[in-house]
Amino acid sequence: MRLLKDVYEGPGSHGILRLAACIGGVHAVLRAAPGEAYLPALYGSRERDGLAAAVTLSPLQDGRREIYAPGDLSQDLAGVGRRHPGAEAVILARSEAALLSGETIPAPSPPQPGGRDPALVTCAWESPGMGETEAADLALEDLVRTHARKGLERSPYPTVNLFGPPVFGPGAAAEYDEAERLLNLVGVEVNARVPLGATVEGLRRLPRAWGNVLLYREVGESATLYLQDEHKVGRVTTPMIGAAGTGAALRAVAELCELDPKFVERTVWSELARTSKLPWYARLKPPETFAGLKAAVFGDFTYPLGLGYALSREVGLDVAACGTYLTHLERDFLFHAQTFTEGGFVEDDPERVANKIVAARPDLVVGTELERAVATDLDVPFLPLCYPTAGRPFVENPLMGYRGSSILADRLDEALG
Amino acid sequence: MTILNESGIPDVLHPLHAVNGLAGRLPGTLVIVVGMRSEAHVVRSFPGGGPGGRVRFAILDPRDPPQQGQLANLAVDAAGRRAEKVLLVGSRTAAALGVDVDFEARLAARKSGLTVAAVDADAPYANPGALSTDLEDRVLAALVDLCPKRRTSELVEAASQAKRTGFFGLGGRNRERPAEQGRPVVLLGGALSPGSAADLVAELARTGVEAAGVVPPTGDDLPPVGEGTVVAVMDPNLGTAANAARERGARVVRTLMPIGVDGTARFLQDVAEDAGARTSEVMRARSVWEELGALRGRVRGKRIFFAGDTGYEVPLARFLADAGAVVLEVGAPRLDRRFLAEELQALGSGVDVVVSPDWRGQMARIEESNPDVVVASAGLHAPLVARGHLCRGPEDFVRAGLHGYEGARRILELFARTFDRAEALDASSL
Repeated sequence: MRLLKDVYEGPGSHGILRLAACIGGVHAVLRAAPGEAYLPALYGSRERDGLAAAVTLSPLQDGRREIYAPGDLSQDLAGVGRRHPGAEAVILARSEAALLSGETIPAPSPPQPGGRDPALVTCAWESPGMGETEAADLALEDLVRTHARKGLERSPYPTVNLFGPPVFGPGAAAEYDEAERLLNLVGVEVNARVPLGATVEGLRRLPRAWGNVLLYREVGESATLYLQDEHKVGRVTTPMIGAAGTGAALRAVAELCELDPKFVERTVWSELARTSKLPWYARLKPPETFAGLKAAVFGDFTYPLGLGYALSREVGLDVAACGTYLTHLERDFLFHAQTFTEGGFVEDDPERVANKIVAARPDLVVGTELERAVATDLDVPFLPLCYPTAGRPFVENPLMGYRGSSILADRLDEALG
Repeated sequence: MTILNESGIPDVLHPLHAVNGLAGRLPGTLVIVVGMRSEAHVVRSFPGGGPGGRVRFAILDPRDPPQQGQLANLAVDAAGRRAEKVLLVGSRTAAALGVDVDFEARLAARKSGLTVAAVDADAPYANPGALSTDLEDRVLAALVDLCPKRRTSELVEAASQAKRTGFFGLGGRNRERPAEQGRPVVLLGGALSPGSAADLVAELARTGVEAAGVVPPTGDDLPPVGEGTVVAVMDPNLGTAANAARERGARVVRTLMPIGVDGTARFLQDVAEDAGARTSEVMRARSVWEELGALRGRVRGKRIFFAGDTGYEVPLARFLADAGAVVLEVGAPRLDRRFLAEELQALGSGVDVVVSPDWRGQMARIEESNPDVVVASAGLHAPLVARGHLCRGPEDFVRAGLHGYEGARRILELFARTFDRAEALDASSL
């Protein structure tokens, strides 16, 4: 037992619900106590798109229950197909209270050819204590595994699947837009965006793509590995953050899709000249602006690594600390972080994170909303660029791609002067 | 009035969302939520609240459940010198992992000398279902248990003392008025409605009844509650807290909630009567209705649909129906008919109450009836606005302070402002 001031992540069920809320045709059934279904409220206040999240509560109730009242898990799962004719897949998420109750769950049912019943994905691997990101990653793999069709032919022209962040991620939709814009510039079309904006039909057609571009490794890792192993669809894992990261990712896509490397190079140069302002910002500012400045970066996985690399190599800051709260990705994170900092760490207790940041004595803190307090205490500029964030902008800005690098330049300019 | 049970799944915000707000309302109190990541995540996802309280999370590891006494030690360490009270909020996951929050609270109190109370956030209610305000009910029940328990004679003496000093600085206003009451009155509720209790204390003082205190208190001291105390419940969701007072031997007034003009008048009359004083609020209520004439005109004939999750919907609907609005439906995710018997009786014949409403059914009925305004729970709010409906959250009324005659004005003003704003937006050429 630990006494924490806050938590970075929700439970596994929250990750599954976040994922389900992204994909058209997927309906989530949350097995939980009455009142535990807060995703609709959270979705309404954060996404503000006026849509109702496709979640049905199967209440875990003690004592008497009327015969036709919801609460019988099998009946509630079966009822989704009846009540929601548009549902093509039903995914079961269980709250930690439901998991601890030890009740048995029905067996998964894959889609039947010509059948009208939605496929049932039960997420049997869910366990108490699992974090939302890990659960979202595994749930996406389950959905892809259930629906991806075998034996599909590759598309006649180069296409890729974009595996990006799910709902509530800062600027999530804008990240996909920017990645798709850049891929179109080099002559690659997007076969599917996954999970945000995907459909069940899109999941079925994922193996048509020539490759998978993993924008947000936290949630797409397992699904893309499955597609690589079972459907021979290769993947690009370089974070598309900063001008260098974006260029490297585009070159890797070009190789995967057998594009003319000279054409890709010309496109990259053109974007560097017209769109990407981070290299300009770094060159225009006198060296004294950044000399000896220390930055501390903390967040999920892709963003702290991508931002840490860009701040260190492209801007010239000293990244004194770079950490993640995703303890299940510890080894991978530390492996990548060591390429630009000696201060890599993994920690999910906000007070200990704050202590690490204080010890690094940074001049800039880039992190989640939970690091705002430590930046205020240190009286240094703070950029909340990693999930979870508190902002709910109507107009989202990307941090990925060349446009994202320009936005990063603007934010740094504001913060560092 | 018809009560239908839809046996559906209502949209109800997690009761733990109120932890920050309640902690802010109880300065000097450390609130420790005992559970797993789920509970902590709810609290952090709804950060509303104010300064004053501190919240911490005792996160349990399902692979290594805590030893007995471990939570108590943690609570004592965390309280340090800064907290005067500690509330240990136990959850369903804590119970499933075998944590006896009551025992740990007693142990922590013995070890530290602090006041430590246990709040079981998941104790079942007699009626199925949940309200988003359930935690408020349970926290107030815990506070009632912390109130000093004295005998009637001492309580009467304490009330006289309070009369001399006055509560909220308002006691002096009616000092010349001889008190006729025999039993001390404690107000229960208004935790999330700042100023509400003070308004009611002032109204009671006007009728010759001095309140011995309020739970939750505005200062540090809890009023005595026990045999001979008259407990006046302010909120319709406080069934457990009212029972806690009753179990201590206090007399809980059976009356309307002090919401709306007639509700406040009945409340003041009945509380005064139980306290041993006699008063008539007829003239005062009539004059308040007259003062509210213009605002009443703004809601008269407006069709209102209640799809909230707080439990405040029944008295709000009663008041608005009295004010001339047409109440289309009142959704009640959980309805304690015994506790709200007076409210339901006063609701009027033309109002339908739907218990355990299914949120999809509610949406369909709203689409069908096209009300002028919907009082909607958090999960329904954005989808309804997107479908072109005018919405207010029930918590808007609670936060504005909906008790007493002034509360009645604030409720009508909120509706009037909603209509005015919508008309202004409709009139703007985009």
